[in-house]
Amino acid sequence: MPDAVTEKVIATLASVKRIPAENIRPETNLQEMGIDSLDIFTLLFELENAFKISIPDDDVRSIKTVNDIAEGIKKILAAAPPDASVGSASPAS
Amino acid sequence: MAARRVAVTGLGIVSPLGLNVAETWDGLRSGRCAIGPIQAVDCSALRFQNGAEVRGFDPTKHFPEGKDAYYDRFAQFCVVASREALRDSGIELTPELRERSAIICGSAVGGQSSIEKGFEDLYVLGRGRVHPLTIPKTMANAGASHVSMDLGLSGPTYTVATACSSANHAMGQAFRMVRSGEVDLAVTGGSEAIFTVGMLKAWEAMRVISPDTCRPFSKDRRGMVLGEGGAMMILEPMDSAKARGAKIYAEICGFGMTSDAHHLTQPTVSGPARAMRGALNDAGLAPETIGYINAHGTGTPGNDPVESKAIREVFGARADKLPVSSTKSMHGHALGAAGALEAVATVLALHYGILPPTVNYNERDPECDLDYIPNQARAIQAEAALSNSFAFGGLNAVIAFRAVRS
Repeated sequence: MPDAVTEKVIATLASVKRIPAENIRPETNLQEMGIDSLDIFTLLFELENAFKISIPDDDVRSIKTVNDIAEGIKKILAAAPPDASVGSASPAS
Repeated sequence: MAARRVAVTGLGIVSPLGLNVAETWDGLRSGRCAIGPIQAVDCSALRFQNGAEVRGFDPTKHFPEGKDAYYDRFAQFCVVASREALRDSGIELTPELRERSAIICGSAVGGQSSIEKGFEDLYVLGRGRVHPLTIPKTMANAGASHVSMDLGLSGPTYTVATACSSANHAMGQAFRMVRSGEVDLAVTGGSEAIFTVGMLKAWEAMRVISPDTCRPFSKDRRGMVLGEGGAMMILEPMDSAKARGAKIYAEICGFGMTSDAHHLTQPTVSGPARAMRGALNDAGLAPETIGYINAHGTGTPGNDPVESKAIREVFGARADKLPVSSTKSMHGHALGAAGALEAVATVLALHYGILPPTVNYNERDPECDLDYIPNQARAIQAEAALSNSFAFGGLNAVIAFRAVRS
């Protein structure tokens, strides 16, 4: 059984790509599923909002599978409490 | 009417490297990097803090009596650069010539910073109304329209918006209008000003911005760095320019444009390669005459290897000996103005016989295997040059210039 973070990544990807969650495995290569960089950025945007975190650009470049994303999120959650500023709409100018 | 040759006889620029052509060229030839901490807005909530801003630009000096408030910053850049270019050309505007002059400008987003301010007033500050000039400041053609009013030129005037290729598409159109005889003068280039929180947040979400600096073609590159500014050129028929004894910076001699028909943000090799070939064919230039390419060279992981492959596809083995640089490493990526800033760099490179470098270059990338003029300008008199612009949406526009011996 996938853990909660991995399940959330799969559910979010299913929702972003309008595909059944059953078709997505943690180890599936995203590119081979026809998921391109814009899909991944959209997915990460949803996940950043859901987990209230900020995922650094450099981490994103090595993403190949759902597992890569889930592991990255788990690391961020373990390292720091959720970033309260993410999702804030107030401009800073 | 037979096709005419077209001369570049005036240049104007407001860039992160300087507020006029002389300052900017000094920066380009000395390899100065204008990238630094963004001062226009608070970037503490952003993943990046650096940009290439135009510093020390005082709009009230150029637009007195409160008129500066009528212009978005992008339109101010456009007008100030156009005034410098026209002054530089020394051309005398007769009533007939004024009517036969085109103004073609490029801008990716126009005055969207102004509408952002309006929406902040409305949605965040709850003011219930926005500034009455929000619409005329925001419209993408504001720069071109202000130039026409400011200089009193009343021929065809419009703005082209093709993201990062905007200025090249604009200059290419203007070039063809002068070449065909449709007009006898063109003021053309591009301008952009996007340093607002909303714009920067939107770019952050694209995940293409470097957290430090811009290192095009270098193995350790981490993305592009946003810039701003405006640059304009005066184009006129070569014969008229020579007849009036004008200073001729270069000949603009070819324009090629293609689309990838592939992906919103991922480039192809063939689209840019076909655009470069198109510019060469349009100019009637053999590939071996090209002695410099001002690359699109954004510094993103995606663009730089693809552009390098495209150059190799067009120039074959000669690509090994063809100097290529990305001046974005110095003035940042000014989006819809990028091609215009880079056209000025390219024209001056041909005029002065000095090729501007790619600065911040640290390490060779096996996927980017050309000569990028790393870190130091090179004294080489190129015979002809290309200036590349490739846009999100897969739109490619390449301009060819030829050196003119005086």
